Amino acid sequence: MSDQLAAIDDALETGVAGHGDPLTRELQELALALRADAPEPDEAFRQRLRERVESGFPKARAPRPPLWRRAMTPALATGAVALPIVLIVLASGGAPSPSDEGGGSGGGGASMSLPEQDPAAGGGGGTAGERAAKSAPAVALPPDSGFAPGRRDRKIERSVGLELEMPVDEMARVAEQVSALTNRHGGFVLSSSVSTGEDAAGGDFELRIPATRLRPALRDLAALADVRTQSQTGRDVTREHVTARDRLQAARGERRSLLQRLELATTDEEAEAIRRRLDLVAGEINGLRAQLRDLRLRTDYAVVTVSLLPKDGDRNQGGAGGSFDDAIGDAGKLLVGVAGVIVRVLAVALPLGLIALLGWLAGGVVRRRRRESALA
Amino acid sequence: MDTSPVRIGDVNEALVEPLPMVATAHSEGFAELYERTFPRVYAYVASLLRDRAAAEDVTSQAFERAYTKRRAYRPARGTIDAWLFGIARNAALDELRRRKRRAVLEIDPEDTGSPSPEDQAELALRRETVRAALASLDGQERDLIALKFAGGLSNAEIARVLGMSESNAGTRLHRTITKLREACHE
Repeated sequence: MSDQLAAIDDALETGVAGHGDPLTRELQELALALRADAPEPDEAFRQRLRERVESGFPKARAPRPPLWRRAMTPALATGAVALPIVLIVLASGGAPSPSDEGGGSGGGGASMSLPEQDPAAGGGGGTAGERAAKSAPAVALPPDSGFAPGRRDRKIERSVGLELEMPVDEMARVAEQVSALTNRHGGFVLSSSVSTGEDAAGGDFELRIPATRLRPALRDLAALADVRTQSQTGRDVTREHVTARDRLQAARGERRSLLQRLELATTDEEAEAIRRRLDLVAGEINGLRAQLRDLRLRTDYAVVTVSLLPKDGDRNQGGAGGSFDDAIGDAGKLLVGVAGVIVRVLAVALPLGLIALLGWLAGGVVRRRRRESALA
Repeated sequence: MDTSPVRIGDVNEALVEPLPMVATAHSEGFAELYERTFPRVYAYVASLLRDRAAAEDVTSQAFERAYTKRRAYRPARGTIDAWLFGIARNAALDELRRRKRRAVLEIDPEDTGSPSPEDQAELALRRETVRAALASLDGQERDLIALKFAGGLSNAEIARVLGMSESNAGTRLHRTITKLREACHE
């Protein structure tokens, strides 16, 4: 077969069918006949097409679509591509910032991230104060206006969580300073646990800090060590407070009225009924007092939970934020955040791209088959 | 002194192997490509369509498409001739499909080149025999014959145009030309 094909090519090249084998020579002759019978173009057509080739196939200008349509096409295409990506990024919460990396705000209520500390605000002194003066603590403090600006008489229940990071050998000192600092600001330690072993060093404090001293207290706490995470929540309990207060006033008014009626009672039965009612009212007053006391305690004192955590690796070089290691750490977290976004985008874009690729390939196959069907 | 070239007759053996045409979009301008390939492209398209007017339209379209897409040609993917014939083939097949949609199912083979008066009777008879045999082939076989003998493509270029291996193209070509020979004897 290959010899015959080569012989055919020879004949086409030389124009001579001269093979020794009669069959092969016949194929050569057939090839030459086919070549000779090939249609030849009309010279006028050849000239016309040559002119078009030389002038670069000039086209009659089709009427341009209106500007809005020309502008809409790329805009729609861009929107179709960008919209899923934007939705994914928004749904995923965007790139996590270093401050919310690994932390997260505390439980329910009005969890909020607050603006940075006012450097002019007063604060604790001593070692913590000096440390605070050297470097800005990485904790966001509640603003002076509190959680509900504009209403002085609002009752807000506050809770703050802090995770402080320090070398293991500084943990005992920091634990002592947490207690001392709490006392200095008029608060108290509700519970604490500290372990200083190399393997499981750590500590947890639950503090009650007067709400009026929360800002300076937090500033001093943040100055004790590096703040890994912080969270704050606030819950408005004004309605509960007002309701309990009003009910207490009403109960007191009822008790006064009952006492006056008791003085004026003429029969034993009437006096006995008023006393029974007075007992009920007294119980109600006691319950409301307790409720108000509890509310006052919760709003006058903020709940501050402090967790002491050992630093990862050998970062036992002291100093607050702003060091080279911190910068490296921040850069790493930023890169992780960016990588997270990229992964999310790719998680959408890759399947879409794969589907588009498969569709394109399938479309090519279908187009080819439909074209080939013209030969069937 | 006469310096005009003199054609020497009776030479049926090539003294020098012809160099393969290494034509690329970079080394050859489009006008040169047109001059070199136009007759073969037209012959191929006309063989497929068997309609002179349609063949002119499709040839024109093919060269225009090739001109528009000339920067997309990649030498690594085959010769520029194979690339150009691929475009021409797609245009011709599109035209055939359009015709089918218009329900013009078959057009009688056109007498694309009537024997000139000086043609010998034997040659004219042989041409008619070959045309009749060609009509017995199916579309894909006629396409293969047209690529080879009207388009003048090598087996490798045919394989590139049809999207198959060179050996497969050679096998199919051999089978087809054998079938054509047998049809000529019927």
